[in-house]
Amino acid sequence: MSTTGSVILAEVPSLSKLYLNAAGEAARRRLTGGPPRLSLPLVSHEVRGVRTDVATLTAFQHLLGETASDELPAGFLHAMAFPVAMSVLNRDDFPLPLLGMIHLANRIEQRATILFDQQVDISARVENLRSHRVGTQVDVIAEIRVAGTTVAAWQGVSTYLAKGVFLPGIDKRESVGNGTRPDFAAPDPTALWQLGVETGRAYAAVSGDFNPIHLSALSAKALGMRTSIAHGMYLASRALAEVGVPRGEHFRWDVSFEAPVFLPARVALDISTTGGDFGAWQESAYVAWNARSGRRHFSGTVSALQ
Amino acid sequence: MSAAGLSAHSTQEPTGHGPVSSTPGNPAGARPDQAGGPEVSGAGLRRAVIVGGNRIPFARSGGAYAKSSNQDMLTAALDGLIARFGLQNERIGEVAAGAVLKHSRDFNLTREAVLGSALSAETPAYDLQQACATGLETVLGLSNKIRLGQIDSGIAGGVDSASDAPIAVSEGLRTVLLELNRAKTLQKRLQILSRLRPKDLSPDAPDTGEPRTGLSMGEHQALTTAQWNITREAQDDLALKSHHNLAAAYADGFFDDLLTPYRGLAKDSNLRADTSMEKLAALKPVFGKNLGSAATMTAGNSTPLTDGASTVLLSSEDWAREHDLPVLASVVDGEAAAVDFVHGKDGLLMAPAFAVPRLLARNGLTLADIDFFEIHEAFAGTVLSTLAAWEDPEFGQDRLGLSGAFGTVDRSKLNSCGSSLAAGHPFAATGGRIVATLAKMLHQKGSVDGRPARGLISVCAAGGQGVVALLEAA
Repeated sequence: MSTTGSVILAEVPSLSKLYLNAAGEAARRRLTGGPPRLSLPLVSHEVRGVRTDVATLTAFQHLLGETASDELPAGFLHAMAFPVAMSVLNRDDFPLPLLGMIHLANRIEQRATILFDQQVDISARVENLRSHRVGTQVDVIAEIRVAGTTVAAWQGVSTYLAKGVFLPGIDKRESVGNGTRPDFAAPDPTALWQLGVETGRAYAAVSGDFNPIHLSALSAKALGMRTSIAHGMYLASRALAEVGVPRGEHFRWDVSFEAPVFLPARVALDISTTGGDFGAWQESAYVAWNARSGRRHFSGTVSALQ
Repeated sequence: MSAAGLSAHSTQEPTGHGPVSSTPGNPAGARPDQAGGPEVSGAGLRRAVIVGGNRIPFARSGGAYAKSSNQDMLTAALDGLIARFGLQNERIGEVAAGAVLKHSRDFNLTREAVLGSALSAETPAYDLQQACATGLETVLGLSNKIRLGQIDSGIAGGVDSASDAPIAVSEGLRTVLLELNRAKTLQKRLQILSRLRPKDLSPDAPDTGEPRTGLSMGEHQALTTAQWNITREAQDDLALKSHHNLAAAYADGFFDDLLTPYRGLAKDSNLRADTSMEKLAALKPVFGKNLGSAATMTAGNSTPLTDGASTVLLSSEDWAREHDLPVLASVVDGEAAAVDFVHGKDGLLMAPAFAVPRLLARNGLTLADIDFFEIHEAFAGTVLSTLAAWEDPEFGQDRLGLSGAFGTVDRSKLNSCGSSLAAGHPFAATGGRIVATLAKMLHQKGSVDGRPARGLISVCAAGGQGVVALLEAA
């Protein structure tokens, strides 16, 4: 699927306004009903000449355990692109309800280095509307270019699930897998994270993602959660930071989210690294689980870009 | 971390910066054309000798030294050394010491201790910090200056207080205070103050967790202990020997000229002369309780948090002679190593398993050539995992680049006067305790088979580091 046009936004949209608008839209849809939309908008949203706030960058790097270098971390770039991506999901012609969508997976390619003093152009579009065992899933493609250049230095593909939403014409039988996950036996950990209740607020402050499900038990309960949960990209970014220096500047970074991390939590992590010939780094695989119950929270890889 | 130490990705090669490069696969024969004299790695340099040492007894935290600061204890240990060797008003070449848990006001800790001591106020000093290897590294650094002729005498040391540990203010309060200090107007100050939240007032105490993994040192060692299949019984047995050896050394008066009583303490308060396998076996595991395998590490086979300080007097042979002082041993060589524990490739405290083979290869020696082994007992599991790695042919081949296992340590030569499990472990003070103890043992032994007795020191440290050293009787 390709897009037919792009909408240039004057500035990076405000996430809090987007969340509010999404809540209004959800209410409106409930009231008015109306026929569901069955296809994705063929348009990309773009913001040009975005600058990085260096204080926010430093706070992000400190929080996630990244070296406070002048290079923008891959997870920071995700946070920069996130409001643009959300603005596409918030379009009236986007067929799935934004609120309550579940972040299933993320795949990021860091292809070139972006420095904090470089302005960037950010674009986002949606692709690949398809069925899932328990609903409908969609990919959000975000790209970041150094302003004025044409090649994406960073690309992120975020897969979201609208649970319980089944659209006519999207055949359930196309869904892959039978929904059962292979048994997970926790290995010996290489790290143990003590995540306090403030974890969600701390990441919200550096990423700008103030989704109420991450902020406090109360605000999470208002949205039907048992209690607040950690941001998926906070967890994945910490795992990426822990892979550390061997990954180099350019890499591919995958994560699949399973059980949410309810706060507070003790999360155990294992990183295993494989090298190629002559000991060159090829890939680091990580998996994280609840230190008490052994339930898997997320897993993924960081690998060399071919 | 699937069998981290065993499935090798690369070996830590012998460094080979001796006169003839070492040959992987045969470190013992790395310098076949050399006479084997340990002076080779410092050929042309004069010797650095150990005149003696002094420490205060080590106290379990919250005990006899609960109110004593790092500077108090370091000064006490230093003054005991000065009194023993008549160094009042002496201008020493340099004093080097350090602490692991350090207050920000302790930025010039060693120099302040010198100013508070009976040494000449014209004695320069510097602080050093390499976690638990701090004390040993000060000995190596000053020895090297002596060998180069930059100084004729030096005092190495270390101190740590787990009782009087620094407690930092929260990050929120710290940021506010710093910005307050920079603010120029009252309005701006009030604006900054209004950002303070009640939670910002809760303090931030130091812990033994590794910054990059969040695992405590004990939890890290529990992983290594399990990986090398070290049994609870073997760990308790090592702890028992440590207590019995230290108690026997005290009973023999071995520490009479190595210790100065302080705050009513005349021997290490952690020492349990009457402990037994039964008593040790009764203790509940404290680390590794969440591992799949059985937890084996207890308060008995792990070192407790401890307060204490130690010092070592080093000099050239001429300086010792001119001052009519004895010479116990010489500092032959040292080596540091580090491992990638962050990604589980090796255990946090396994760096000495790499440092020792490199050190011995450079000096044309094997484990069989060593008469005394001083392997710091951070945990019994640390010592036993290191020995197991050296005895493992796979580790020797894949990780050390040897043709087989590195070798076996004769247990009767291991920590003969007790070690940290019995004495306790005030982090930066442990190196000085070991160096002075080993120097005296070597001096008492004199020669073995017509050559000076040799001793090996191995100290593991936080951050996946290790420092090892080779001494010989003088």
